[in-house]
Amino acid sequence: MTELNAVLDAATKDFDNSLERLFKLVRIPSISTDPAYAAECEKAANAIVDDLQALGFKAQARPTPGRPMVVAHYTPKEATKDTPHLLFYGHYDVQPADPLELWKTPPFEPTIKKDGAVTRMYGRGTSDDKGQFMTFVEAARAWIRTTGTLPIRATFLIEGEEESGSPSLVPFLKANAKELSCDAAFVCDTNMWDPKTPAITTRLRGMVREEITITGPKIDLHSGMYGGPAMNPIRVLSKVIAALHDKNGKVTIPGFYDGVADLPKQTKKQWQSLKFSEAKFLKDVGLKQAAGEKGKSVLEQIWARPTAEVNGIWGGYTGVGTKTVLPSKAHAKFTFRLVGKQNPDKVLKAFQKFVKGLIPKDCKVEFAGGGGSPATEIPEDNPFIAKSAEALKDEFRRDTVLMGSGGSIPICRFFKDILGMDSILVGFALTDDAIHSPNEKYDLESYRRGIRSWVRIMGEFGR
Amino acid sequence: MVHPTTVLAEIDQQFPESLDRLFELLRFPSVGTDPAHHKDCLATANWLVGQLKGMGFTAGLRKTTGQPLVLGQYAPPGGKKLPHILFYGHYDVQPADPLELWTSPPFEPQIRKGKRGQDAIFARGAADDKGQLMTFLEASRSWLKVHGSLPFRLTVMIEGDEEGDASHIDTFLKTHAREFPVDAVFICDTGMWDAKTPGIDTRLRGCMGIEFTVTGPRIDLHSGLYGGPVQNPIKVVSRIIAAIHDKRGRIAIPGFYDGVKPIPAKLRKAWAGLKFPAKKFLGDVGLSVPAGEQGYSALEQMWARPTAEVNGIHGGYRGVGSKTVLPSEATAKLTFRLVEGQDPRKIRAGFKAFVKARLPKDCKVRFDDSGGNSSGIAVSEDTPWIKAARAALKAEFDREAVLMGAGYSIPVVESFKKYLKVDSLLTGFGLPDDNAHSPDEKYDVASFRRGTRAWARIFAQFAGK
Repeated sequence: MTELNAVLDAATKDFDNSLERLFKLVRIPSISTDPAYAAECEKAANAIVDDLQALGFKAQARPTPGRPMVVAHYTPKEATKDTPHLLFYGHYDVQPADPLELWKTPPFEPTIKKDGAVTRMYGRGTSDDKGQFMTFVEAARAWIRTTGTLPIRATFLIEGEEESGSPSLVPFLKANAKELSCDAAFVCDTNMWDPKTPAITTRLRGMVREEITITGPKIDLHSGMYGGPAMNPIRVLSKVIAALHDKNGKVTIPGFYDGVADLPKQTKKQWQSLKFSEAKFLKDVGLKQAAGEKGKSVLEQIWARPTAEVNGIWGGYTGVGTKTVLPSKAHAKFTFRLVGKQNPDKVLKAFQKFVKGLIPKDCKVEFAGGGGSPATEIPEDNPFIAKSAEALKDEFRRDTVLMGSGGSIPICRFFKDILGMDSILVGFALTDDAIHSPNEKYDLESYRRGIRSWVRIMGEFGR
Repeated sequence: MVHPTTVLAEIDQQFPESLDRLFELLRFPSVGTDPAHHKDCLATANWLVGQLKGMGFTAGLRKTTGQPLVLGQYAPPGGKKLPHILFYGHYDVQPADPLELWTSPPFEPQIRKGKRGQDAIFARGAADDKGQLMTFLEASRSWLKVHGSLPFRLTVMIEGDEEGDASHIDTFLKTHAREFPVDAVFICDTGMWDAKTPGIDTRLRGCMGIEFTVTGPRIDLHSGLYGGPVQNPIKVVSRIIAAIHDKRGRIAIPGFYDGVKPIPAKLRKAWAGLKFPAKKFLGDVGLSVPAGEQGYSALEQMWARPTAEVNGIHGGYRGVGSKTVLPSEATAKLTFRLVEGQDPRKIRAGFKAFVKARLPKDCKVRFDDSGGNSSGIAVSEDTPWIKAARAALKAEFDREAVLMGAGYSIPVVESFKKYLKVDSLLTGFGLPDDNAHSPDEKYDVASFRRGTRAWARIFAQFAGK
């Protein structure tokens, strides 16, 4: 038996324990967007540090102004100058779990269930991203337990603010640039092409977030006594949202498309050859017609076109029954997905100007979002991509698809700009994982093959 | 008409006793919506029955689906040909909290100076509606004392659910309509135009409430992974709301204005003459641009034009921080204020069609129709009752009564119209600074005294005919 096969074998045999270790983490409600869960985030970070230390990593939960950053280093006993140094990135924070009533099992009590022929684990963070980053942790464990060491030099960086826009990340990377600069970064936070086909994501949309509050009358008013002459801020907000898109689904904010290039013909052709079923994609979520820009395929809309989305809206009375109120305030949360060379600051400013232009003279608007990151495109001829694609093919016995992703992983841009390294995005999640939704799940097969894939990738670069 | 001089003198002479009786009534904490005060409501109702009996009325309590209803009947000797009036008021009051904001305890009435230096009675219910209903009863009492009988047949109906559920009185009137073959309803639960100028409300807007929820994707989705091709129900709801009004503030729902009559030129002129300070009215709530239909003054927009208002909206994530979700559902709650001639059921159907027409084919919508259907009411300015009231109010206040609108609805007026087939005369002596529903509610002593005198003058219009 080769060394690699022995490690793969060990990983497979230890799978039940790998599951148990993951469940321990999923049980910690480490929600980063809500300050009430700060202590839970700390608890999750410490649990990871303890685990990695036991494996022989030099691991620490480093304080930041927000949630702690887990940093762990491993240097093999016989490391030489030529031993590659790879960084592995994931995040231990999770999305809020509400609406709770829609969960079939409690979000922070991981549960294994059989859905037909497929066995799945359910729980917030099973797929995004605890289950994913634990694949490389478990792969490292299999190597160390089987051979006494890792075949590569490894740095693990597991952050706790990914779901809230990673506010501490840039200063942290800058302050620790020397320590964290490696030959390449592997990020485990993306999808496979389908349950049988591995993928490496080479295009990621960027994102800008913004929250607006529109104030009309200074206090809530009786809608009978004031209805008519008094402006209703919900009306104003609705007009703003309704004006964001034209009839063809294009975003109407002036300057929004600055820096957006047309998709290269070759890439377009490649994506067409994937035989992606638009009808099935929409049907799976209960829809029939693509709502994005007319004339662009669904894959292109998700992978290569920018969007303006409203993530939440509220104002006035939202309880049961009727209240004849003419509210003082209305709020909405927006995110813009960016592609190509769209500049987040410029998009944000353009949006703010656009909103101000639609506000009646006597209403006020406040902005409370800000922050964002540009899109990332990793050159497909990057040498780390080729080797990783090979290792994935060995595990899945299928060609690896080089794809785009509609999600934003700003870290890729920061790794490039601050630490000078490319990011290779290898993940094992599936489109039906319901990340950010109730009943988030991760297939047991994703977890098992994810672990085995990392065993192979680590082995591939350690040769 | 009989000149009311002696009755007015009687009212003034015994006014301290009228105040004593009002104070007795104000001491009952008859908060109708609070089960802890149901005993107090019953005691209040019984006290009122005692008062009516003391004045020679046949009186008792009637069961309703809510609080007991006080009913008094008076038939003048040989008065079968006299008009039959139903007087309506309510003995229940709003809850008094927040208690800490009251200068004196809410159920221990006290006379002290108001902000304009006037004497005022401070207590919960002083203006809404105990002080007001007592103006009518005290006028009746003095009239009876002087003349021995009233110049009309009278039914007094005082309910205990006005601040709560309007369906109780509605059900009662529906069930017992035949017991009340009256010619007119008098209601004392509204306000004057200002402290010196009396008012009669001739227009009340109705209210149709509806909630709609749009479903896009069947579950909440990641806005990155799905944003673009997947329809966002918040956008759908926003587009619908944005389409409700056109650029001139008119409501764009087809058929919405069906049945809406133009405001009579005479009335427009009279309202324009009121010199309503629209700028200050909006300025007081932090606004400056009238948002309603262009071509109508702020008063017209409130009193005589229908509206579509969004009372609440929600969808997606509204907690702290951000969540990159593409939500499955978004909901909006609306109320439409309606004027006379509009059929709330048609408006409801029209709005539903309007929503459905704007719904992407693959989205779903569901409606919640529990928000009520009340019609707008406009009482003819030429009824004998209004004519009598205008003459009487002018004599008392030395100013023409303003024929006003109220932007809101008084559901019982619709019930009277629907079941008893009669219009209501709405006149009252409340003032905008009475703090009805708020801490330190008050009723000016002058409102109480002149209100009582005004009713006596209205009675006099019928006497001797």
